[in-house]
Amino acid sequence: MLKMRPAFVAAAFAVMASIGLVQAQTGPIIIGASTPLTGGVAHFGQHARWGAELAIAEANAKGGALGRKIEIEFQDNRCNPAEAVKSVSQMLAEKKYVAIFDGLCSSAALAIMPLVERAGVPFIVANASATSIAEKSGVGGNKWTFKVNPTDASMLDALSGWLDKEGKAANIAFLGEDTDFGRAGSSGLEAALKKRNKKLVMVDFFQKGTADFTPVLTKIKARKPALLALYAIDADFQNVIRQWHSLGGGVPLTGRVLVDQVPKEIMASGFMDGTTSVQPYDPSVDTPANKAFVEAFTKKYNLPPMLISFESYETINILIDAIRRSGNAGPAAIRDALAATKYQSILGTTLEFDANNLIHNNAIIFRIQGGKVVIVGMSKT
Amino acid sequence: MDLNFYAQLLLNGIVIGVIYALIAMGLSLIFGVLEIVNFAHGEFYMLGAMLAYFLTVNAGLGYWPTVLIVVAVAVCVGYVLYEALLASMRGANFERSILLTLGLSMVLQNGAVFLFTTTPKMVASSLSYSNILLGGLRLSLSRLYALGLGLAAFAALYLILYRTRIGKAMRGVAQSRDAALMVGIDPRAVSRLAVAIGIGLSGLAGAALAPVYAVHPLMGFSFVFKAFAIIIIGGLGNVSGAAIAAVVLGILESLIGGFLPLVMVDALVFVSMIAVLLLRPQGLFGRGVRV
Repeated sequence: MLKMRPAFVAAAFAVMASIGLVQAQTGPIIIGASTPLTGGVAHFGQHARWGAELAIAEANAKGGALGRKIEIEFQDNRCNPAEAVKSVSQMLAEKKYVAIFDGLCSSAALAIMPLVERAGVPFIVANASATSIAEKSGVGGNKWTFKVNPTDASMLDALSGWLDKEGKAANIAFLGEDTDFGRAGSSGLEAALKKRNKKLVMVDFFQKGTADFTPVLTKIKARKPALLALYAIDADFQNVIRQWHSLGGGVPLTGRVLVDQVPKEIMASGFMDGTTSVQPYDPSVDTPANKAFVEAFTKKYNLPPMLISFESYETINILIDAIRRSGNAGPAAIRDALAATKYQSILGTTLEFDANNLIHNNAIIFRIQGGKVVIVGMSKT
Repeated sequence: MDLNFYAQLLLNGIVIGVIYALIAMGLSLIFGVLEIVNFAHGEFYMLGAMLAYFLTVNAGLGYWPTVLIVVAVAVCVGYVLYEALLASMRGANFERSILLTLGLSMVLQNGAVFLFTTTPKMVASSLSYSNILLGGLRLSLSRLYALGLGLAAFAALYLILYRTRIGKAMRGVAQSRDAALMVGIDPRAVSRLAVAIGIGLSGLAGAALAPVYAVHPLMGFSFVFKAFAIIIIGGLGNVSGAAIAAVVLGILESLIGGFLPLVMVDALVFVSMIAVLLLRPQGLFGRGVRV
C-alpha cells in the first residue's frame, strides 16, 4: 500500500492538471482592464466600462469566441500611472488574462506599456490619445501594444489643415491640463501649425482638479487670440466653459472641445458659435451600425454614448475579432491576429493597424453654428 | 494690457479670496476651539454643494431657500458630528483626531462617489448664467452672491466671537479649557457649537459655490489643502487672520496668474506657507491666542 502512494499521487496530479487544462480551454476568456473608476475622471472610466461591457454582452449573445464565454474584469487606476502599474502588475501575475484593455489616461497607458511587453500579453488602447504611445509601439519597439483611437498629433493635423484652409490657423492660444494628454495636445498642435508656417501665440497648463480659471482666462482674453485651443475634460472642462462664459469669452474655441458636454444654456445662447473642434466620434454619425450602437447603449444605460463609450465599444469588438481569429486565445496568437486586423468600423471605414500598431480612422470636424453642433467634415487621421 | 485688465484680475482675486475665506474660517474655528485639524472639512463643503444641487435641480428651490436649508442641515450635521465622533477628542488626542477626520473624509468622499457617481453636475439656474457689467469689468451674478455671502459670514462670525457672551466663551475655551470650566463655562457645549458653526460655514460655502463651480465628489480636495495653508499663514486657530490671509492670497494668485504660467499659481500658496513658517512660525496674525 505504501509503495503505491507515489504512483497514486502522480496520477492524482496528472488528473488535476488535465482538469485545469480543460478548464483553461473551456472556461471563459478573460480580458483584464485598468481604468479610472474613482478619482477626477471616473466619469469617463464609467463610460469606458459601459462601452466595453456592451460589446462583450453582444459578443456573448452571439456565442462568445472560440465556443467560450468572454468576460472582462476591471481594476481602478485613478488615472494615475502608479496605480495603473499596480493594477496591471497584479493582473499579469495572475496569468489568467488574455489581453489588457485601455488605461484610459495617456500617462496610465504609457506606464502599462513596459509591463505588457515584459509579460508578453497584448495591450489594446482605446482612449488614451498621446502620440508617444503609437511612436513606441510596433516598429517603435513595443510589439504588444495596439492603439485603436487616433493620436492627438493625427487629429490635430486634420484640424489644423481644416482651420488653415479657412484662414483661421494663425494666432491660436492653447490651454490644457498638465498631463500627458494636455502636453500631447500642445506639442501636436504646435507641430501641425509648424507644418503650415504658423505657431501658437500662447501656451498654458493647469493642474487637474483646478476649480478657478478666472486668472488665466482673463490673461487669454487680454491677449486677444483668434482661437483658444482647449484640452480639458470632465469637471475641468465644465469649469472652464462656465467661467469663460462669465468673462464674456469673445474668442471661439478649438482643439478637443467636448461639444456634447457644453451646458445647453451656454450652447443655446450662441456664445460658443464659431467653435471648431475635432473628435474621433459623434453619436449623430449617420451609419446603420452607429445608429444601432447608440440605440443599444441608450437602452442599456439610460443615457447616450459619448466618445469614450464609443472608443471602448469599438476597441473591445476589435479585440474579440482578433481572439476569434487567433484559434487558441493565447496571448501571442491574439497579438498576431490583432496585427492582421481588417475590421469594419461602425463609422463605415475599414480599420487596419499600421507599422506602429496604430489605426487611422476618420476624425470628425465639428462646428458650433447658431447654438447648434454641426458636423462640417471628416478627415483621415 | 490696459487698466481694465488689472482691475479684472483684482476683482477676480477678491472673489477667489473670499471663497477661500469662507472655507478656511470654519476650519480655523474648529481648530481654534478643539485643537482638531478637520481633514474632512472639504467633504462637508462638497456635501453642501451636492445638497444645494439636488434642492435646486430636483426640488426646484430658489437660491436663498437652498442656502438657508443647506446651512441649517450643515449646522445639524456639525452637532451630530461633534457628539458622535469629536466629543472625546482634544489636543492630547491630536494624532487620533487626524486619523479620525482623514478616515471620515475618505468615507464621505467615496460614499458620495457611490451615491452620486463622479459625473460633474452643473446647477443650471438663471443665476448661473447671468453676468453683470461694471464698466469694463465682468462678474457672474453667482460669484457676486458668493462674495456677498462670504463677507456677511465673516461679519457675522466676527460679531459672534467678539460681541456676544457665547463668543467670549468660545475664546475662553480656546485659550484654556480648564480655566473656562473653572469660571462656569461648559466646554462641551461651546465646542459643540463651534463645530456646528464650522460645519455650517462649509455648508454655506458649498451652497454659495454650487452655481459657480462644477459639483462633484472630489471638489472639496482642491480647496481644503489651500485652506490648510491659509490657516497656517493666518495663524492657527485665528479666524480673522485666516480670513485676511485668504483674501490676500486670492488677490496674489489672480495677479500672478495674469502674468505667469498657471501651474506656478498653485505653488504660490505653499511657498507662502513655508516662508511664513520659517519667518513667523505662529502665523502672520498669530498672537499665541486662538480664535
